[in-house]
Amino acid sequence: MTTPLIGVSKSILKIKELIHHVANTCLNVLITGETGVGKEVVAQSLYSESARSSKNFVKINCAALPETLLESELYGYEKGAFTGAHRKRPGKFQTADKGVLFLDEIGDMPISLQSKMLHVLQSGEFSPLGSDTEFKTDVWVIAATNHNLEESIRNKTFREDLFYRLNIIKIEIPPLRERKEDIPPLIEYYYRTYKSEYPESGGTKPDAHTLEILCNYPWPGNVRQLQNCIKKQIVLRSWSKIIDELPKEHPMIPAEIQTETNTNSNQIQINPEFANDRTGIISQFVDLSTSSEKLFEDISLKKIKKLASDRVEKEVITFVLEKVGWNRSRASKILKISYKTLLYKMTEFKVHPPI
Amino acid sequence: MADPIKLLIVDDNEDILSTFYEFFNSMGYEVKTAVDGFAALKLLREKSSFFDCLITDLVMPNISGVGLISIVKKEYTHLKIIAMTGYGDQPGALASEAEADVVLFKPIDLFKIENTVSELLNSKDDNE
Repeated sequence: MTTPLIGVSKSILKIKELIHHVANTCLNVLITGETGVGKEVVAQSLYSESARSSKNFVKINCAALPETLLESELYGYEKGAFTGAHRKRPGKFQTADKGVLFLDEIGDMPISLQSKMLHVLQSGEFSPLGSDTEFKTDVWVIAATNHNLEESIRNKTFREDLFYRLNIIKIEIPPLRERKEDIPPLIEYYYRTYKSEYPESGGTKPDAHTLEILCNYPWPGNVRQLQNCIKKQIVLRSWSKIIDELPKEHPMIPAEIQTETNTNSNQIQINPEFANDRTGIISQFVDLSTSSEKLFEDISLKKIKKLASDRVEKEVITFVLEKVGWNRSRASKILKISYKTLLYKMTEFKVHPPI
Repeated sequence: MADPIKLLIVDDNEDILSTFYEFFNSMGYEVKTAVDGFAALKLLREKSSFFDCLITDLVMPNISGVGLISIVKKEYTHLKIIAMTGYGDQPGALASEAEADVVLFKPIDLFKIENTVSELLNSKDDNE
């Protein structure tokens, strides 16, 4: 069963419209987007709306196979083409004839295979390994990648001519966090899917509060991650467990969410660009997860200064004491404070020699 | 000619688009514009026989100029096509392969395009 393209956001509606307009052109398509956004779902939609839907949809993952294997998978081989080629085997270009060939992770295709791919796309002809005969092929090529191919071209890992040949129709799928309005319909869809798959399970739909948390989570793994959560919920039967288990530390997740998933509407908004550094430091001394009202009450520069300097002092004192084998008199000289002050600070910061 | 020539101009650079629009308008053409191949295709699907000539950029989001040219060549055969590119040889070569009538390399002199348009449409009249 193929998954339909689900969403109500402007970007998804536009993609649906674009699919409708180009499904019968058979022009090469390049689908881009982060991992898990649904690139294959878009490819499947193109295929099922096209006149080729009665023929094969053949998928190959260009990142999953070593170079030589990828080549023989794509083009097939003749008997005796290499050691172990005991009989002739057709390649994906042959199986996909008159249908669709979906080249997933095209950005990871070794550069040496890219020139052969270019040749096939240009001429519509290919020859299996170990064969002199050129076969004519009529495939609709849909490629997908999570790489920025323009960058790969600059880094010389992707051929510019191949890029332009694939990039005739470009479908860019934005990450889920940029189209939060798609989250409720996606939850609804996957909930129903898994509920019908496991009718005995006690999984429930998220309540309004949980739904709000789910909609505000940044989903670094996009739709696939959301889908897995819903499946897990059907088994675990607890949304709070699912939410607790969502990874909070991820480069793509701003610090405001890393400290607290439970987003209140009156929470302070932090510019995500600077959020990681700044809020990371501040959150060591103030609890940023409270409402802005409470937070503004808590923030006092004097208090924070004391907390911050105490913390550094404690570390420095411990560091020096360790260096001098816990000789307090030597440490106080190095730190340029009196012996008495050092003893006082050690008690205050609970710095004790190891037993 | 009684009817003004109808142009569809496509470019994802809005500055270029408005410059072209002003220029061709002042030269007596009837001009419609689109910001990418997809917007252009929608205009064409609405009124397919309306336009006489398509002037399109090549590297654009959604449907590229090359894609648009291929579709027009198949579905709207009466349209004359001028492709413009600023991205080196690759897209230009693909546009020729897609059978654009003329491929021009940016920067392009507006008067030169105007010349090309009238030449193309005159040769069309000659053929008919």
